[in-house]
Amino acid sequence: MSRPLRIAVLLLPSAILMGVFLFGLVRLIGSSLLIEGRLDFAYYDAILSRADYVAMLGRTLRTAAMTTFVCLVLGFPTAYFVARYRGNRNFLLLLIIFPWLVSIVVRSYGWVVILGPRGLINSLLTWSGLAARPLKLMYNDFGVILGLAHVLLPFMIIAILSVMMQIPRNLEEASMSLGGRPGYSFRTVLLPLSLPGVLTGITLVYLMATGAIVTPLLLGGLGNTMLGTEIFQEVMHFFDYPKAAALATVLLVTALAVVLPIQILERWLARRLSDGGAA
Amino acid sequence: MITRYIAIAVLLFLPLPIVIVVLSSFTAAGYLSFPIKGLSLRWYAEFLGSADWLRVLGVSALLALIGACVSTAASFAAAWAVVRHNMRFGTTYETLLLTPLIFPHAAIGVIMIMTLSGLGWLGTFSGLVLVHCILTIPYAYRPIVAALRKADPALEEAAQSLGARPWRTFWLVSLPAVRPGLVTSLLFSFIISFDEVTVTLFLVGPFVMTLPVQVFSEVLESASPIIAAVSAALVLFTSLMVFILDRVIGIQFFVERD
Repeated sequence: MSRPLRIAVLLLPSAILMGVFLFGLVRLIGSSLLIEGRLDFAYYDAILSRADYVAMLGRTLRTAAMTTFVCLVLGFPTAYFVARYRGNRNFLLLLIIFPWLVSIVVRSYGWVVILGPRGLINSLLTWSGLAARPLKLMYNDFGVILGLAHVLLPFMIIAILSVMMQIPRNLEEASMSLGGRPGYSFRTVLLPLSLPGVLTGITLVYLMATGAIVTPLLLGGLGNTMLGTEIFQEVMHFFDYPKAAALATVLLVTALAVVLPIQILERWLARRLSDGGAA
Repeated sequence: MITRYIAIAVLLFLPLPIVIVVLSSFTAAGYLSFPIKGLSLRWYAEFLGSADWLRVLGVSALLALIGACVSTAASFAAAWAVVRHNMRFGTTYETLLLTPLIFPHAAIGVIMIMTLSGLGWLGTFSGLVLVHCILTIPYAYRPIVAALRKADPALEEAAQSLGARPWRTFWLVSLPAVRPGLVTSLLFSFIISFDEVTVTLFLVGPFVMTLPVQVFSEVLESASPIIAAVSAALVLFTSLMVFILDRVIGIQFFVERD
């Protein structure tokens, strides 16, 4: 077999799978734009002219941004702690990886058991007499952001950790022994070097949060709709595929508008950092 | 100092809901509550006595098994072309294989409806297999390509120059060199596929259902503790897979960069 033919045969299975994916993508955009064979933005007009849909879009972006922020604030110190831990690091890794691989349904359900009216927190509160009646801890934004942050935190920690493990410990020690205060070495050494990992983490968490369905539905209920849960409703209850396709395209465009610039920044940063290392 | 407190709190917080679900599955009451009311295995008995739940478990396992094998084989072939044949646009092709990762899941769900309805495979098992292969390819590709880059092609040349035929070289030299990558890829895609819910819930139908999607719709509709028992079984299963992964390649694989 000649070399080009051999390469073609080797790529065939994966190319078919990716081709099938792209076929769906084209059909998605097509079915949201074509009405009786003509180009028509009616579905998008209908979405953007409805105040409740615009509010839902805002809630989706806000929830995803809040979730990403919480994950960053909690994930960065955790990654730092694990990367610099001198004891049994594999055990700490297990505490991160194992929950990450358990299905999000199970983890979100766990929060239902904790936050529900007869759940852990309300049982404690009523038993101790701190609250006379169960508090409403879920079916609101608090429950959704808490659940999403919990489900997505491992992505942030793993992204930052995989970069931080590469940063030699003695780089910080060198900076400190040359008289840099801990805060100064953190700002000038650790933070810039771990930035590619932070950006990967932000990308992943933001993407997963904007497109989430299971966690917002279980912890937010049907009242607090987000783009993902609205798409789910359109498909499962109203069978309105063109409208779902238009909503999915809106979701895709808003997600990529946030994520692609971050990706480009990350590539640029990674190149700069590796150049700096070589020089 | 505050770093340490945040980190310890996070590391305790991550497994918390999973522990709570497992504990709550041992309740004797007919409704879900925590702390549990009485100790009993009745919900496990109900789960294992239910033909419906067991059938759905079987579907999920078979789906994950086929999906993992197909995407591992497809990734292996692609990685071979990219690394060993040093093909042009290899990095571009790799980026293409990873694209499903930068799509939000709800959007992928609708994209897959469009794909499967176009093929006439909506609500079928074959349709689910196809979709799960696409979803797991990025996870399957990475460990294989890393193993292939580490393996030394000089060993294959040595085998060939000693007279081994290409297939014999492949079976006796090339394949063993990337075996850890292949095993990782199989296990990792199996877990991803077995646990997948957000995309799959758009594609199930009256004739095909997966375990996580069934759990999801039960949680939406009822508060029966049987869901906790099924979830505990899923947790047990995932622990088993993580244990094997840790034995085969070590848990630090997940935080290594290639």
